[in-house]
Amino acid sequence: MIENGMNRRDFLKVLGWGGAAVALTGCGNTSVEDGKELITSYVEATDYMIPSIGVYFNSTCAQCDAGCGIMGRVREGRVLKLEGNADSVINHGKMCALGQAGVQAHYNPDRVRDPLLRSGSKGEAITWEKALGLINEKLGGAKGDEIAFLTGGMSGHTKALLGNYLEALGGAKHYAYDVTAPAVVRAANKKAYGVEMPHLRLDKAKAIVSFGADFLGAWVSPVHFSQQYARFRKGENGQRGVLVQVESKMTLTGANADRWLAVRPGTEGVLALGVINALGAAGLYLSEDVKSLVKDYAPERVSKETGAPAEQIGKLAALLKERSPSLAIAGSAVEGYAHGSQIAAAVALLNQVLGNVGKTIEAPANVPFQQLAPAATGRAALVALNDALAAGKVKVLFTYGANPVYSASSAMKFKDNMKKAAFKVAFAHYLDETALEADLVLPLDSALEDWGTFVPAYAGDVAQLGVQQPLMEKLHANTRGAGDILLALLKQKEADKYKGFEDYYAYLRTAVVQNKAALGGAGADDDTFWGETLSKGLVKFGAAGGSLSGKVSAADVALPAAAAADAQFPLTLIPYVTPNQRDGRHANQPWLQEAPDPLTTVVWDSWVEIHPKKAAELGIVEGDIVEVTSKHGSIKAQAYVFPGIHPEAVSVPMGYGHEAMGRYAKDVGANVLSILDPVADKVTGETALNETRVKIAKAGKRVIVVKEEGAAGGKQMGKKIAVRVSTDKVDLSEEV
Amino acid sequence: MHRFLRLSVLLIGLFVATGSHAAETAPALTTADDLGPQVEQPIEFPHDRHAGDASKGGMQINCMYCHTYARRSASSGIPPLQKCIGCHQNIESVKDKPRIKKLFEYWEAKKPVPWKKVHDLPDYVRFSHERHVQRFVFQQGRPVQEACGYCHGDVKNMTVARRSKPLSMGWCADCHQKDHPVDGAAAAKTAKGPNDCWQCHK
Repeated sequence: MIENGMNRRDFLKVLGWGGAAVALTGCGNTSVEDGKELITSYVEATDYMIPSIGVYFNSTCAQCDAGCGIMGRVREGRVLKLEGNADSVINHGKMCALGQAGVQAHYNPDRVRDPLLRSGSKGEAITWEKALGLINEKLGGAKGDEIAFLTGGMSGHTKALLGNYLEALGGAKHYAYDVTAPAVVRAANKKAYGVEMPHLRLDKAKAIVSFGADFLGAWVSPVHFSQQYARFRKGENGQRGVLVQVESKMTLTGANADRWLAVRPGTEGVLALGVINALGAAGLYLSEDVKSLVKDYAPERVSKETGAPAEQIGKLAALLKERSPSLAIAGSAVEGYAHGSQIAAAVALLNQVLGNVGKTIEAPANVPFQQLAPAATGRAALVALNDALAAGKVKVLFTYGANPVYSASSAMKFKDNMKKAAFKVAFAHYLDETALEADLVLPLDSALEDWGTFVPAYAGDVAQLGVQQPLMEKLHANTRGAGDILLALLKQKEADKYKGFEDYYAYLRTAVVQNKAALGGAGADDDTFWGETLSKGLVKFGAAGGSLSGKVSAADVALPAAAAADAQFPLTLIPYVTPNQRDGRHANQPWLQEAPDPLTTVVWDSWVEIHPKKAAELGIVEGDIVEVTSKHGSIKAQAYVFPGIHPEAVSVPMGYGHEAMGRYAKDVGANVLSILDPVADKVTGETALNETRVKIAKAGKRVIVVKEEGAAGGKQMGKKIAVRVSTDKVDLSEEV
Repeated sequence: MHRFLRLSVLLIGLFVATGSHAAETAPALTTADDLGPQVEQPIEFPHDRHAGDASKGGMQINCMYCHTYARRSASSGIPPLQKCIGCHQNIESVKDKPRIKKLFEYWEAKKPVPWKKVHDLPDYVRFSHERHVQRFVFQQGRPVQEACGYCHGDVKNMTVARRSKPLSMGWCADCHQKDHPVDGAAAAKTAKGPNDCWQCHK
């Protein structure tokens, strides 16, 4: 944010003068360095290594759990740019901004370079032998169930190796934690369809109604869904699919929808039942129990509770009835509320009533090796770990790929509870908030230096094992891969079993080659199969799954009455998962800070989205620093007045407000996760993200919001490029 | 009033900053046809011995035998160490010479020789060796040493290479304005070097 003290004209003046002054002396990079710079020189070179000509190597993206296939352009021994791997069934050669920033995770100047042992408040660089020896020593004093391993999303052979290690430690517990994980959705899907992540056929659907699933932005596997969405939009026989997005805060998907239905936070389930009711009224067959469930959800009542216009409910029902098969997707609304599981059940019931199960909701491909399948991440895992820590049941704590000191709500007092563990080991890329609390920090290879395998979080119709391989030499001599560390630790416990594997690469190669028959390499020579696997960067395996089992019945849906108004904290806080920042693990990659948020175009800072009506009521204008206060603390950020949010809600993006982690992440914005109320979904126990009630107040200061666009809903440079029409004036049936 | 003050403080700061910056950077390129700096290399490579005329004790090796990337890529690179060793492991007569001993030390340690760049261009200039070698050597059939020598000078009479042409824009453009005709289909096109800014400045 630019302080208001200096106006834009002054700023331009200085820039103008500055430009002239610089031109007189030349820019920094014009100097010719004859005899100073070294030429890239090789000892031995292969035919394809030609200076200035890039060679591409395949690997797998590790920026999120979607598991997209990537290829890196390598020139003069350095990886320069990442592209999508066209062979991958997840991303078919495409990539997102998050993936592109993978090179900045690799070249990041703030990476940890040596094992660090706590010495007072400082970290002292030690050798790996000493570090691993120390872990062994500390583990000696702890029983199996006193050892905890907290990770983020994990899959493939690293996860299998971790499983073996936990077993070797005598049953140490694995907590798989991810704030943004669709944990409630998975549990609800398991109940309704018999699988955690069914194969959603967006391409087959003729109409989609999404309950807050930002599948084009940040939900589960956005690159994959974007491509399906493109086919859905093109449509068979020229019929373009219609997307209706139901949510309280506009996401990227909501912005792309034909109709965006703003509902009062937490009433998505009511709307789903209202649509079922309207479908019944329009003549769709409903079983008796469903009929009795939805009989009270007449359009007038639903409209009153949700705030959506009554005629829109009828229009939505008519659309879904006419356009079959359709698809209803339960997304972040389900993760948001204490009755999230009920919302998911209502959405599943809508699918069932519409006959979508088996048509647009199919069984996913089977992953034959369950030990490789992605760990079921969630927020309940952190709550469980926090309880164990608070009770003093954890003596040794490992963390890998998770940053709970940053992402846990202050109400959980995680930082204090973590201190109760006698020895804390952090596997770390950066000295983030959690690593700073650890006793021992183990520096990790970057994703572009490491070996590994990934099973995508969302399988689709073909299961795929993504192979991650180094794209270049390690930048720092003293970092190690997570797999290598786990293998070294396993050797301490079961030396005989693992002595045949010199390093993690040897383990990985053996594990993959041993199962080549199941991985589509039956009959192939070991070296050929392995060579081909590395060259392709992935192996496809597993056939399409069978049919779906499971069923949701009317009895599974019991929506609570609308929450009473809270006079002290009148607004609902919606922590927003942005496509760039997600849960904040990539905050130290400057491209992601610099890339504008797709909806607000704000860069390098947090913001508080407030509806124009609410803002007018509170006398807030864009750029006012506002204080957002919940029962568990408060944060300050710049106000962004935005029509794409329900007037009774405010939204703040996740991922900002780091106190550590590196030069690009530290002190940028405010951490919304720190003030969340610890409310859990009643069925799954997963922390409900949108259950926090807040009040907002001006904090007195005003700044210029640094963003790409003019004021939201502005004058379009005086030209009427797109006419503004309020959503209830639009008749979709005439438009599409 | 204090706004002007603030502005002047900013401006003064900026001039001070750029002033100190200017003092640190090397002087701008000259257009004089002068020699570049004498560059001290890890091994004093005798170009004259390898590429020089037979009458002067040289072996007349084709430039492109070692500088194999020049015709394939924008960047000419530097020959990999294995290229040197490929011949020298069979040349017993010079094996005890200090330079060759040093060469084998690098080879045994599997360390690349840290050669220093002799012909450097500013970062905003994109020069393609491939394009020039293709035109002059393969399309026009000029002798290799002559073609390379347009920019690199009389390397066959040097030991360690030294920049002998200015490599400035005016010097490049001077040659680009001349006709360099070739036979065949390509002859129909302009025979001059490109005159567009973006051909070199990308």
